[in-house]
Amino acid sequence: MTDLSTTQSTHLSQPAESTTIQPLDPTDAATALHAAGKAARGFLGLDPVTQNEPLLAAELVRLNAMVFRYGDTVVGYVPNTGQPRQGEVATTSAKTEPVRALLAFLDAYRRCTSFVAMVPAGAQAGTAFTGCGFSQVGTLRGHRFQSGGYHDVLVYAGGKPSCHS
Amino acid sequence: MRLRGYRDSDRDLLAGHWLPGELIGLPLTDRPPLAEPTTVSAPVDDRAELCVADGIGFARFAEVDWVHRRARLEIGLRPDAADAAEQLVGLAVEHGLRVLNLHRVHGWVTPATTPRTDILARAGFQREAVLPDGAWHAGRAVDREIWGMVRHD
Repeated sequence: MTDLSTTQSTHLSQPAESTTIQPLDPTDAATALHAAGKAARGFLGLDPVTQNEPLLAAELVRLNAMVFRYGDTVVGYVPNTGQPRQGEVATTSAKTEPVRALLAFLDAYRRCTSFVAMVPAGAQAGTAFTGCGFSQVGTLRGHRFQSGGYHDVLVYAGGKPSCHS
Repeated sequence: MRLRGYRDSDRDLLAGHWLPGELIGLPLTDRPPLAEPTTVSAPVDDRAELCVADGIGFARFAEVDWVHRRARLEIGLRPDAADAAEQLVGLAVEHGLRVLNLHRVHGWVTPATTPRTDILARAGFQREAVLPDGAWHAGRAVDREIWGMVRHD
């Protein structure tokens, strides 16, 4: 795996995982998502609690997804086929730094100018996106079936990353 | 009008000058004359359900998810069949909720193309989200909306 630095300067005393995102191949990504458990439910529309690792890997390939590890957080991206400058992003934690690193990578290497996130209602990932300047732009009613009932999915949208340093 | 399953002889209905994935794909009037028509692929697995109304257009349920019982609906109409849009939307909704037994049907609507949202509202759809710069149209990024309907059992 190759480290992709998303910052202009890296302090030597900082742990490597705090300043880099590591791309994961679909198999490793499926393993990481499965390990994240409930925190990864709804990640790019996947559900690592009910889907096994081979299925997760196959779905990531079908979606043309890119998945990265940033410390103990997994972040991911799926391109919008109808608008090449937009991507759907996802995270498994409430931390903002992994999302900022992902957005900076997509800005620099995919030329993305806008982003969308679909987050199950009540999931901690929403905190990460609002902390990165995303705003809620809608609610998809009854979009997910989980634990015997249908649940809403919150839609967030954001522009270019506000923090590049 | 009735919906029936897709056959290879219906291939001509699957191409037209509408935005890809549009919930009601009516031919765009300002489409460049040399632009390639949008083409919908024939179904190859159970992730998509494709129905046809003879001489009018098609209704395609894409991204069918049998766990969450939802699908994204896209409809394409022939240039001379715009008046049949409301009837085709109604038949498609009926097919999705009753035949496919879906819980939710949603689709994309692009305000820049002046869509027939009145038809969608009468069919039971509601605007649920607005995605800034969600589609590419007429040389620029334009907003795209998600309209959805939920079946209340």
